[in-house]
Amino acid sequence: MMSLAMATENDHLRIVEVWHGGKFKKKLSEMGIYKDSRIKIIKNDIPGPLIVDVKGSRLIIGRGQAQKIMVEGN
Amino acid sequence: MDKIRIALAGNPNVGKSTLFNRWTGMRQHVGNWPGKTVEKKEGTFHYNQQEIEVVDLPGNYSLTAYSVEEVVSRDYIIGEKPEVIVNVIDAANIERNLYLTLQMMELGANIVLALNMNKFAREKGLKINKNQLSNLLGVPVIEIEAVDDTGSEELLETIVKVSKSPKIVLDRLEYGNEVSEHIQQIEKIIDQDLSGDNNKSVFDAPSSWIALKLLEDDPQIIKEIEESGKAQRVLESVKKIQGHFNDVFGDDADAAITDARYGFIAGLISESVKKPKIDKVTRSDLIDRIVTHKYLGIPIFLLIMWLTFQITFTVGDPMGGYIEEAFALLGETVSANLGEGFLTSFIVDGIIGGVGGVLVFVPIIFILFLILSLLEDSGYLARAAFVMDRFMHKLVGLHGKSFIPMILGFGCAVPGVMATRTLENERDRFLTMLIVPFMSCSARLPVYALLGAAFFSAYQGWVIFSLYILGIVVAIIMAAIFKKTIFKGMSAPFVMELPPYRIPTAKGALIHMWERGVLFLKKAGTLILALSVVIWALSSLPVGVEYASQESITGQIGTALSPVFEPLGFGEWQAAVAIIYGFMAKEVVVSTFGILYGVGEDGSGGTATTDGTNPESSGEKAPKGEEVAPSAEVAPEEDPGFISAIQQVFTPLSAYAYMVFILLYIPCLATLATIRRETNSWKWPAFAAGYTFAVAYAVSLVVYQGGLLLGF
Repeated sequence: MMSLAMATENDHLRIVEVWHGGKFKKKLSEMGIYKDSRIKIIKNDIPGPLIVDVKGSRLIIGRGQAQKIMVEGN
Repeated sequence: MDKIRIALAGNPNVGKSTLFNRWTGMRQHVGNWPGKTVEKKEGTFHYNQQEIEVVDLPGNYSLTAYSVEEVVSRDYIIGEKPEVIVNVIDAANIERNLYLTLQMMELGANIVLALNMNKFAREKGLKINKNQLSNLLGVPVIEIEAVDDTGSEELLETIVKVSKSPKIVLDRLEYGNEVSEHIQQIEKIIDQDLSGDNNKSVFDAPSSWIALKLLEDDPQIIKEIEESGKAQRVLESVKKIQGHFNDVFGDDADAAITDARYGFIAGLISESVKKPKIDKVTRSDLIDRIVTHKYLGIPIFLLIMWLTFQITFTVGDPMGGYIEEAFALLGETVSANLGEGFLTSFIVDGIIGGVGGVLVFVPIIFILFLILSLLEDSGYLARAAFVMDRFMHKLVGLHGKSFIPMILGFGCAVPGVMATRTLENERDRFLTMLIVPFMSCSARLPVYALLGAAFFSAYQGWVIFSLYILGIVVAIIMAAIFKKTIFKGMSAPFVMELPPYRIPTAKGALIHMWERGVLFLKKAGTLILALSVVIWALSSLPVGVEYASQESITGQIGTALSPVFEPLGFGEWQAAVAIIYGFMAKEVVVSTFGILYGVGEDGSGGTATTDGTNPESSGEKAPKGEEVAPSAEVAPEEDPGFISAIQQVFTPLSAYAYMVFILLYIPCLATLATIRRETNSWKWPAFAAGYTFAVAYAVSLVVYQGGLLLGF
């Protein structure tokens, strides 16, 4: 298990835990990032936000936010 | 035949607006939802003699109570009960899009699914069996392409048909035994205790939906239920069930319901959509490899911004010049026909001068909006936000999206403030609105040009450049301060969708430009007209004084206020009056000097009023005179008499302090009117005016007194 911020490009990952509170956790889940959903890393240039593929759509996630999303290899 | 009321719903960037524009064309009305800052678009059209009224609901991912847009949407669906909801879906992205569909089904809405962008879906290798999907969901599914007419006929036909025989498909949703059972328990209590309570609009919604929302801890629904006074038993059992979810799933009820929805969708997808084995690399991805590249991203962004300005000003400036000439001509014609007098002065100096001075900016604003619409519709703005995020984050704690309004502020603060609409978070939006006016807009350039030429001829370019930089620095400092004070601890987490690149449609971009631009014309125009009259009156009264002389009320106010500016190095009454007029539009500062120092455009020293010109038109010739048309008139900064008059009033240091003040002080009237409109409150424009004045005063004071100490 590691944070999403540490993932490398083209990794296929599964979300293990979302350490965000209420409102933002909900927003993430509405956009497809919730426990057990599957994602792919499109871009992870440090510093700066990440781009991930979620169910075929592309999401930008701030680096700070990505640090609180735990993932593991698919 | 009665008209049918329908609503368009869907995720952002699915082509809802394209479809709306296609249907309604120019017969649309843009306003705000009652009491909200959310834009509401309505329109009507006819299909086979059937009148159809359509409302474009805000683009949403969900229907929770967490964002204004979502509340607006669901309140509309519950309260207004549109006969049909057309749910536009990006077929290439169907799985995520269906999440919203499900929530509308929970609400008992009568839905038609419009699958859009099927071309992209096929490109991605998705095969959607729409008949199967329709069977599983129990709602009609139509394939369309919003950009052309594909499927349009079938969609409209279905809408009319479905409006006559509504289908409520609550029973199609299967959230697993555990979740369904608990929902039914709560539903039962709601029906026993609360049904027949007609005071609350929430009870127009199905009880199963209320039960679901209570389990999800929806604050708005809980509040409304509590207000009914009979909620005790319901809320108690909700608490108990939520506890049970925690024990059984080790997760809250909210998460369990989300899982259940996605689970249901996954089932739908596996039965009706064939996905490719390997992800295909799309054209969008290929473009993004370059545009969002670690090192190339920023140069590309800067190049696009530079081009935007080049095009806006190359095309817009001459057009503004024509408008300006037209108004000058109008003024002259009126003066010539009416002769000199009170009425003439009212029309020429007051109305034509005031309103004309602002209308000069209309072409620039429209062109900027057009380019912005094109960038937005193509999907580039989302990339710009991505590229700029790392800088904005470090410097001010705002995310990348806030940078776009600031860039636009260099052209004009009005579109800049309006562009803050793209920020979902209200606090980030208000913060950005407060700092956008510090970006040195094009209207301030004439002031720099005049004073720069008079005092800093050798370093004029650098002096002007330093003012632009100062504006950015002050904006960043203020943003950082606000982030630590009034907008404390409210940093919005950053997640946004990166839409695929699309070729923007001309119709969409033009309508976009028009609706934004017209708002500027209407709202800012009425206010500016009113204020022009007030300023004119103050400059003409008491009866018999020369227009805008020291004896007029304006002059007296200027004289009274001038001691305030004494410590900043410009304590003359004319400087104070120019500051007051500059509040209408900042370039007016220059023309005011022209009038107050009694220097006509031909340099002969005739007074402006007898020339039949007005404060605005004489000054605006300054920056544009050379490029607009070969004119015999001499711009103020090239007028030796004028320059020497100015040189007697200012020193280089006080001139610089004055420019700093003009750069930073109260945003012009149009900007304040826009802030008022965008925030729906007088509080924010009042605050913006107050604090920018304080900042301008403080910075000018430091510049002037510091400069004196250093011996300038």
